[in-house]
Amino acid sequence: MAEHRRGDLRDITHEMLSKGRELAEKNGASLTALLLGHDIKGFASKLTDQANEVWVVDDLRLKNFNAEAYQRILSSLITEYKPLLTLIGHTAFGVDLAPRLAIELGIPLTTDCLDIDFEGGVLSVIRQMYGGKVNAEALLKEAESYIVTIRPAAFEAKEGEPLGGEIVDVASSLKEDVKNKKFIEYVEPSVGDVDVTAAEIIIAIGRGIKDKDNITLVQELADALGGVLACSRPIVDKEWLPKDRQVGTSGKTVKPKLYIAMGISGAFQHVAGMKSSDLVFVVNKDAKAPFFSVADYGVINDMFKIVPALKNKIYEIKTIT
Amino acid sequence: MNIIVCVKHVPETAEADIKIDSEEKSIELSGLVFDINEWDNYALEEAVLLKEKHGGTVTAITVGSEDSESTLRKCLARGSDKAIRLTDKRFEESDSYAIAKILHSVIKNLPFDLILTGVQADDVGYAMVGPILAGLLGIPHATMVKKIELSDGASKVNRELEGGLEEVVELKLPALFSIQTGINEPRYVSIMGIRKAMQKEIKVLSLGDLELNKNDVGVAGSWIKIEKIYVPPAEKQTEYIEGSPEEVATKIIEIIKSRGLI
Amino acid sequence: MDFELTKEQKEIQKAAREFADKELTPELGREYDKKEEFPHELHKKAAKLGFIGCHFEESYGGQGLGILENFLILEEFCRADSTLGTALLVSTFGSDIIVMFGNDEQKQKYLPKVASGEWIASGAITEPAHGSDITSMDTTAKLDGDKYVINGGKTLISNATIADFAFVLCQTKPDAGRRGQSVLLVDNGTEGFDQTKIHGKMGIRASPSGEYSFSNVRVPKGNLVGVENMGFYHTLEFLDIGRAAVAMQAVGMAQGAFDLALKYAKERTQFGRPISDFQATQHKLADAATQIEAARLFAYKTAWYLDQGRIMPKMTCMAKNFATRMAVKVIDDCLQIFGGYGYIAEYNIERFYRDIRVTDLYEGTTEIQKNMIFRFLTK
Ligand SMILES: Cc1cc2nc3c(=O)[nH]c(=O)nc-3n(C[C@H](O)[C@H](O)[C@H](O)COP(=O)(O)OP(=O)(O)OC[C@H]3O[C@@H](n4cnc5c(N)ncnc54)[C@H](O)[C@@H]3O)c2cc1C
Ligand SMILES: Cc1cc2nc3c(=O)[nH]c(=O)nc-3n(C[C@H](O)[C@H](O)[C@H](O)COP(=O)(O)OP(=O)(O)OC[C@H]3O[C@@H](n4cnc5c(N)ncnc54)[C@H](O)[C@@H]3O)c2cc1C
Repeated sequence: MAEHRRGDLRDITHEMLSKGRELAEKNGASLTALLLGHDIKGFASKLTDQANEVWVVDDLRLKNFNAEAYQRILSSLITEYKPLLTLIGHTAFGVDLAPRLAIELGIPLTTDCLDIDFEGGVLSVIRQMYGGKVNAEALLKEAESYIVTIRPAAFEAKEGEPLGGEIVDVASSLKEDVKNKKFIEYVEPSVGDVDVTAAEIIIAIGRGIKDKDNITLVQELADALGGVLACSRPIVDKEWLPKDRQVGTSGKTVKPKLYIAMGISGAFQHVAGMKSSDLVFVVNKDAKAPFFSVADYGVINDMFKIVPALKNKIYEIKTIT
Repeated sequence: MNIIVCVKHVPETAEADIKIDSEEKSIELSGLVFDINEWDNYALEEAVLLKEKHGGTVTAITVGSEDSESTLRKCLARGSDKAIRLTDKRFEESDSYAIAKILHSVIKNLPFDLILTGVQADDVGYAMVGPILAGLLGIPHATMVKKIELSDGASKVNRELEGGLEEVVELKLPALFSIQTGINEPRYVSIMGIRKAMQKEIKVLSLGDLELNKNDVGVAGSWIKIEKIYVPPAEKQTEYIEGSPEEVATKIIEIIKSRGLI
Repeated sequence: MDFELTKEQKEIQKAAREFADKELTPELGREYDKKEEFPHELHKKAAKLGFIGCHFEESYGGQGLGILENFLILEEFCRADSTLGTALLVSTFGSDIIVMFGNDEQKQKYLPKVASGEWIASGAITEPAHGSDITSMDTTAKLDGDKYVINGGKTLISNATIADFAFVLCQTKPDAGRRGQSVLLVDNGTEGFDQTKIHGKMGIRASPSGEYSFSNVRVPKGNLVGVENMGFYHTLEFLDIGRAAVAMQAVGMAQGAFDLALKYAKERTQFGRPISDFQATQHKLADAATQIEAARLFAYKTAWYLDQGRIMPKMTCMAKNFATRMAVKVIDDCLQIFGGYGYIAEYNIERFYRDIRVTDLYEGTTEIQKNMIFRFLTK
């Protein structure tokens, strides 16, 4: 299930095709990219190299994502063609669509998967629990068809041999207009004074900051380092920092040269927004915080001890030079 | 406006020392502090805010053992009018699909205009219960909701998309929304609330009271079966910096400096 | 006999804990400790949720709960932060004498405003020349028509500079000692009633203390609490609740310090292992936990008696005597576990150490408690 928004194919599409291809090859199956929307031929030609077939359903009513409309098309296609596996992104799009589709069709679903495999006709997945502190290996109930939603950035979008897939136009099965759910408009995120996406040095804070008043402490460190302050979602939810400082899937994606995370556990929604940083330091007092697994350097300590020490060190250097 | 909120009683694990139990199928739960799931906390607050604005009632429902009464009590103290707990030994090991079926078997017989759930649960994080429940009930749904406006028989909600973008969607009522964190500021439990809640009963129902059989629930009624859990392998070769805060700071600065960042 | 808290009590405890953990933060505690100011905003927030004066009757703005419920709240508050917890606890100090001996009009006037957080109370007993010995007072009140005229001064009075009213123990019958004292209510702003702040306290610095001076302060006869010339006895009964509350406060603080120390002991490593591996540390913590638990039971028991309407001065004196001494010692041990860092403000334990000390002094020093206990034993 290809995903696009406002004229762009989303990364998850390529990531799923990449994994889908591997699974198809292993199981002697064929891989189809399904594109729903309006005026999307351009996307289709971009996907021909990554799938055996690219199916296009063009309908003005599919222009913007609408779970109800998409579900109708998908359920009729799945009923007719009985794919072994349907992959959907574990995104704002997929979370709205997949569960209900599964229940309508009575097809087993599991969500937010990091890995998938077939073993003797049985589908097994790896997913995370407890905010990423634990991985779980799970089996899906045996069935003829499965639906799985895939965590963004779980798979690399690999460039393989071009598959030269054929573009197939599929007639829209939408008979009447969708009535229950109507897309109205997009609302742009607010623009603030600081652009974290352009920053070379980012100090990010999470719920470990404990109190709004402690933010100044870290702000001073960021200033001393010539960096900017960013944060995890709960800090924005509490309105301690503006939304444009939030890093993660529902915030900004950043690629700084240096990312120092303080008091952030490292939920994938956060990590997805900073994974491409060049150098990552993680300060967390919990040795089992998942964030450490993606850090270059880890400090298992109290951020309130490390922050002042760092600040002093930087002032020291600055006064010497 | 009659609102149903589905809530879950979950362990707080962000700062806890998690241990995997000997069967490697779940974590050791003893010693962990349990509370209302973070997303459900916002959902409950939203329900109470909507009730305060539009009138009506709020009913909190959970599937859970006796321990989860404290989460329901919290809901009652914070403004929920009724509470229902669905419990049965045979519900154990139910996945989100089975849980949604259990909830559905009760909710379908209740009057409601709106159902709120959290986007996902802190512990298992499937983000499935809400939309499956909506599917079973045949009512419209929207997930990741950050704003709700209600008018006669209809609603306008903001859904949160990636990158801070939101979409506004119009849905007919009755509908189900899965609530995203940050939609409001959950209130504290007040003593007045506790006093009032003490006069409210928690209704307890088990499998025999529901129009379900034992194959609909537990492992038999689930799509997903957990085989094994383990500590995730590190993605990067993380080097740990040890020592006193001063030593750690010195080392960090050295590394940053060697990369030309100072 | 039933040692289990009721469901409602457990919920109250949980609600107070959640509020305290999020609002009575050590950062805020340090700030107010430094500023020597009362946390007004926090106080209003707590009151709005019903955490202040919850044991007042509902018709007087309270929640109609018992002393035990009130204790559960203040225990959680003092555990979360000794400085802020104490400030909130002491904000109502004195109002219980109105609960116990006030008439309906007095209760209507004062209690709802205390419970809602609008007003802060104070109770003025101590005088420069009369601390432990309050059997006679230098502050006098003389009836002049339908007014009492008060002259004199009080010292070491909690909330003196922020309170909206005070109960004042006065000598109404000169030379009659304890049989000639009366309790009068004086509103802030009454002519001739003046307050000054005492700076530089060792601890509980978010609970400001000060001095009162009265120069021909005229208050209506209706401000008399209870019976004329029975003020000393009313005060002793009032102190029964106060002393039990101090015992509870000490338990809360000791628990807070214990929690900090236990966590630190697991984190800090020396000689290649956490210091909690050393038996010396383990024994300190084991003893602390044991003693805290014993004192907690003591404090709960006194609250239970009070809720039964039984005045048991021997019990309350024993509870205070035991709990405050225990807490001073336990917090000292907890600080020791922190080593040199325990001496630094950032680690908060030093604030517990300073704050706890007052529990040994106010509402009757430990020596006075022991004197009274012995008297009851030989009665
Ligand atoms: C649809 C959706 C979208 C989301 N989008 C985002 C997003 O864009 N960005 C985002 O960040 N999250 C996002 N989330 C939320 C995400 O799942 C996590 O809940 C969130 O990232 C947790 O934030 P945290 O790490 O700050 O808090 P927690 O998980 O509570 O972790 C706090 C950490 O601080 C540590 N700590 C505490 N005190 C100290 C101290 N003194 N010193 C050092 N360490 C300390 C603790 O050990 C803990 O590891 C999203 C969730 C959903 C469902
Ligand atoms: C922070 C703080 C807040 C206070 N708040 C209030 C308040 O709100 N209202 C109020 O009225 N008072 C208040 N007090 C006063 C407090 O109650 C008195 O300090 C206390 O009763 C002791 O009186 P004193 O200081 O005059 O000491 P003293 O009576 O002079 O005692 C000095 C020492 O002698 C000992 N001693 C005295 N008599 C005996 C005896 N018979 N046997 C054995 N030992 C004895 C005492 O135990 C003590 O060790 C407060 C005090 C403090 C420090």
